[in-house]
Amino acid sequence: MDNAFTFFAQQMLNGLTLGGLYALIALGYTMVYGIIQLINFAHGEFFAAGGYMGVILLSYMAGAGYMDTHPWLCIGFSLVLSMLYCAMLAMAVEKVAYKPLRHSSRLSVLLSALGMSIFLQNALMLTQGVYDKAYPGGIFGAPFEIGGVIVNYMQLLILALTAGLLVALNFLVFKTRVGRAMRATAQDKVMSALVGINSNRVISLTFAIGAGLAAAAGIMVGFYYGSVRFEMGFVPGIKAFAAAVLGGIGNITGAMIGGFIIGMVEIMAAAYIPYGGEYKDVCAFIILIAVLYFRPTGIMGENVDDTRV
Amino acid sequence: MKRISLLALFGLLLSGLLLAGCGGEENKAEETAGAEQALPVLKIGSISPLTGPYSADGNDIANGVRAAIDVVMAQGGIEGFSDIRLFAEDTACDPKQAVAAANKLISEEVVGVVGAYCSSSTIPASATLDPEGIFTITPGSTSPKVTERGLQYMFRICGRDDHQAPAAVKFMTDYLDAKTIFIVDDKTTYSQGLAEEVSMNCEKVGIQVLAHDHVNQGDKDYSAVLTKVRQANPDVFYISLQNSATGALMLLQAKRMGIEAQCMGQDAVFHPQLIEIAKEASEGACLTFGYTDTSTDTYKVFQEANAKYGQVGAYSAYAYDSAMSLFNAIRAAGSTDPAKVRAAMMELDFQGASKRVKFQPNGDSGSDYVVFKVIEGQLVPFWNPRTGELF
Repeated sequence: MDNAFTFFAQQMLNGLTLGGLYALIALGYTMVYGIIQLINFAHGEFFAAGGYMGVILLSYMAGAGYMDTHPWLCIGFSLVLSMLYCAMLAMAVEKVAYKPLRHSSRLSVLLSALGMSIFLQNALMLTQGVYDKAYPGGIFGAPFEIGGVIVNYMQLLILALTAGLLVALNFLVFKTRVGRAMRATAQDKVMSALVGINSNRVISLTFAIGAGLAAAAGIMVGFYYGSVRFEMGFVPGIKAFAAAVLGGIGNITGAMIGGFIIGMVEIMAAAYIPYGGEYKDVCAFIILIAVLYFRPTGIMGENVDDTRV
Repeated sequence: MKRISLLALFGLLLSGLLLAGCGGEENKAEETAGAEQALPVLKIGSISPLTGPYSADGNDIANGVRAAIDVVMAQGGIEGFSDIRLFAEDTACDPKQAVAAANKLISEEVVGVVGAYCSSSTIPASATLDPEGIFTITPGSTSPKVTERGLQYMFRICGRDDHQAPAAVKFMTDYLDAKTIFIVDDKTTYSQGLAEEVSMNCEKVGIQVLAHDHVNQGDKDYSAVLTKVRQANPDVFYISLQNSATGALMLLQAKRMGIEAQCMGQDAVFHPQLIEIAKEASEGACLTFGYTDTSTDTYKVFQEANAKYGQVGAYSAYAYDSAMSLFNAIRAAGSTDPAKVRAAMMELDFQGASKRVKFQPNGDSGSDYVVFKVIEGQLVPFWNPRTGELF
């Protein structure tokens, strides 16, 4: 890799992969915010829980020997189960920590969310231990090279999954009855209840979908980086939250775009600023502040509420 | 809508605060191992990061002390005491919490404390404990400063950074015949200090430092920095990180990026976890760590006792020896009077689990850094900088 272009292309790919992961997590933040205006700080913990659930299921299946015979089936199975598990966990969290506070001030709910985050993180530590848990390796094959750029199958999978989920989510929100109910609830909970929408159920469902996506991201991270850790949800949670705000919180496409921007800026800052590794987060958040300064609603955010989930 | 974004920004700030101030809750564990009430109980403490990013090493340390207590009690305990009780406190590698833990141990009237792990915790904690006549014996703090403050009751079982860096660089020149190096650290007092030490030593012997870059703690993605490493194409890629899990991530991603340089790490990256996570990507990586002869009887006794509490980590044996040196000194002194125990401490010369324990006047017990290499999924002693020969 001796010329500037391959260096740039490699960093582009690095940025896209990281951005895709942020985007997957950011979707959950944005959906929940869109519907009940709550910044769900426990969202990063759903991501960590998903990663853990994945490794637990995979090691069970590896123990039974299925991992050698049907690796893809095992991965798919653990992905679906983990997403379901986190969806249920999120619904439970919503019932316990947020629903009783629905008519309280926003600050109370925010604090409840922070408390839930700390609670879940410590619960993970106590039940799963302080050591990292390793994911099975070598399933996705060796990386290949295109014109000096090293490409991993895992990176392609992350990008494909992110793109696929965005399309599916947009379809769900804008083309289905459930999606219409979600948008209606986001606009006006009382009015939508009057026309027969069960807003509690809709809110539960939103939490479930967001957490399911986070769980998928957790498993992707586990495979891509090789391990999961009880506190892994915190830093990516903050970054994804920043991505959601950047893109215009409440807007699904915005969260995606925000995720990719944060990931890309981070990587490019580390790549091109001399000794920039330590300034990459600074750069990412400077972009965030700059965008909010000129466009307080974020990139895709609008003042009308009907595009929100 | 403006208000909403403001609120969002506020939330962001709040989360930033949480990021800066995150620490685990105080983790208090009192343990007793059988009791007769007639004689007093000997109280000792341990301070290490039981929660947070360094909790793997931190728990290993507390468990090493527990193993030492079990072994001593099985041998009949210490004369004049019915039992030994451990107060295992959490520092979360946070200086403030370390001082709080030290104060708590002072109020519990412990004789000595094993810990801490992070030098940035050990230094303030020992400064708090020392005036009270309480011993601090660190199993894992390698900063030279730890034993250079003229404290009466500060001892160290592990080695020092200013011995580790020359050992690593000697390996690069004498064995690898390296001409260029790329250094990455994660900006902690320890990792950055050691990285700078390595950089200085490299320049002295004529190894060209191509770059000295940094990553952030808590990051999982190192692809940007690793792409730079690949482009620079150094002979040696030196990684100075604060824990083995991040070291494993670095190795895994370096391998994937196709980096062919010899990867070298240091004592904080040294842990069985490194191989567990990085798997075949860790193969061939070299790390500097204190040499431990695992064939000694004392090591076997330690290994057996430690098995009850979990796997043997990098600092388990050091923690075990830290506690053992305190117990041996109390035995020899026949009292817990600080001055007498200190005198006995200086006289100690026994075979511990990790090394031969014999303290120097400043409280150090000597460094014995050798180069370990990952061969077939095992960390094996590979090259001895003292003799310049392979093991």
